[in-house]
Amino acid sequence: MKGFLERVVVIKRLWLAMAVAFFVVLPFLIGEGWLSLVNEMLIMALAASGLNLMLGYTGMVSFGPAGLYAVGAYTTALFLTKTGIPFVIAIVAGPIVAGAVGAIVGWFCVRRTHVYFALLTLAFAQIIWTIIFEWYGFTGGDNGIVGMPVPDLLMSISHYYYFSLVVVVICLILLWMIGNSPFGKILQAIRENPGRTEFIGINVKRYQLIAFVLSSAFLGAAGSLFCGFSDSVFPDYAHWAKSTDMIVICLLGGMYNFAGPIIGSIIYILLSKLISSYTMYWMLFLGIIVVLLVLFMRGGIMGFISEKLSSKIQEIRLRGQYDTGS
Amino acid sequence: MILEAEGLTKSFGGLNAVDDVSLQIEEKELSSIIGPNGAGKTTLFNLLTGHTPADSGRVIFRGRDITELPPHMICRAGVGRSFQRLNIFPRLTAFDNVQVAVFSAQRKGGSLFSRAEKMLREEADEVLESVGLDDKKGVQGGLLAHGDQKRLEIGIALACQPELLLLDEPTAGMSPRETIETTGLIEKLARERGLTLIFVEHDMNVVFGIADKIKVMHQGRIVFEGKPEDVRANDEVQRIYLGEEKT
Repeated sequence: MKGFLERVVVIKRLWLAMAVAFFVVLPFLIGEGWLSLVNEMLIMALAASGLNLMLGYTGMVSFGPAGLYAVGAYTTALFLTKTGIPFVIAIVAGPIVAGAVGAIVGWFCVRRTHVYFALLTLAFAQIIWTIIFEWYGFTGGDNGIVGMPVPDLLMSISHYYYFSLVVVVICLILLWMIGNSPFGKILQAIRENPGRTEFIGINVKRYQLIAFVLSSAFLGAAGSLFCGFSDSVFPDYAHWAKSTDMIVICLLGGMYNFAGPIIGSIIYILLSKLISSYTMYWMLFLGIIVVLLVLFMRGGIMGFISEKLSSKIQEIRLRGQYDTGS
Repeated sequence: MILEAEGLTKSFGGLNAVDDVSLQIEEKELSSIIGPNGAGKTTLFNLLTGHTPADSGRVIFRGRDITELPPHMICRAGVGRSFQRLNIFPRLTAFDNVQVAVFSAQRKGGSLFSRAEKMLREEADEVLESVGLDDKKGVQGGLLAHGDQKRLEIGIALACQPELLLLDEPTAGMSPRETIETTGLIEKLARERGLTLIFVEHDMNVVFGIADKIKVMHQGRIVFEGKPEDVRANDEVQRIYLGEEKT
């Protein structure tokens, strides 16, 4: 039994090491087109994982993650183009400002639950979108902001890829730690039964607000990274369609699993590129995917795998008991 | 006096669910509230624990007015409760159900970056053992048998380290054997930990088995209180409980 568990842990570490090695050597294996696609996946994985701290861990269904993602992106873009501050500081400012905006938006949103909470998040995201879209003098309106003074070192696609890899991995480690901390456990208790959580002495609204702020900061970090990556920002970043992308990614990969949003973003982006290169009806396929997920695979891909895996593990364990018993 | 309530009243749509109830609970007393369905027992619990705001009246816990406090503050002050209907964290394991409450009791909710898995395990294990669930700690709460879920519910309440524990029908839906076991368990836990206990029950055997004091509720009021033998001997209580049989 102990040997078996140890083996699982070792295998887990081995997988992680292999994954890291894979991502490090990747630029030498694939062309620039594919590499920028992987970069997009990394950034989306961070955004979706940030959203999932609310969605999967705390059970707060937000329809407006893109609003905060856009706040991060525009913060970086505005700092870079309007002030002369160094690139790294402009990137760091993204999650900070997104977190601050998240604190204001969240303060209102956590006052309501369920569908009212979801509608409030959507409304605030639409407000952010409208501000970006209409305020030509400051945000460039629907022209967006193009041409970031990105340092020469990060101009090449593979260099920027390494930069986002490091930032995304650090953020994911932080998110993993938060999810597995006492704070994270309490968030999961809130997801399972907010009413009962009050009666174990937890100020549920305060925890939900903190989760909202943290989630916003990670969404903002993803936005900042994408701003540097695409060298531009557009009002589309705050559009509800972008929010839908993030929610579907969490659903596809599995909300109740840390790796879910990561796997989800890889598969979602691959699918969207593949399908839209054959047909213009990507949205039709997206609709079908969502229907199938919600009807048959609510745990997403990771939920499906871990379900299969846990029955396998159970089988191995039982066999082990049987062997020692006889 | 650990808990005092004065003139608690709550009405729902003109019906007084709890009508001018006053009560005093002594330290380390095991007291029971009995009464027919709809007598207002659960509503009274909800008023005492901040679940429902009272229309009027006051609740004093250890000399402190807790009437206006939100539920989590009342819990932190030392009042724990369990619920009549199953009210656990269904997709967390039995262990996590209890550990989360221990985290809250030990004020660990603010640690964002330490590994929960390795923290306060002994405390959580101790609680699980005391409610007899140590062999099921890896099982998801929602998948436990009904009786086990009821015991887990008590475990969650205990893990908050309350001084005063309110149990709302802790044996509801249990088999007679489970009821006897759980009753014994509750009495043992309360005496060992020096808890003050108020519990609502339907099962008269449970009540007479462990209660020091019994309060009888009827139509939102406490109509009688006293020792178990007094209650048994009281005609009015017999009439409320047995109704038509004794005319």
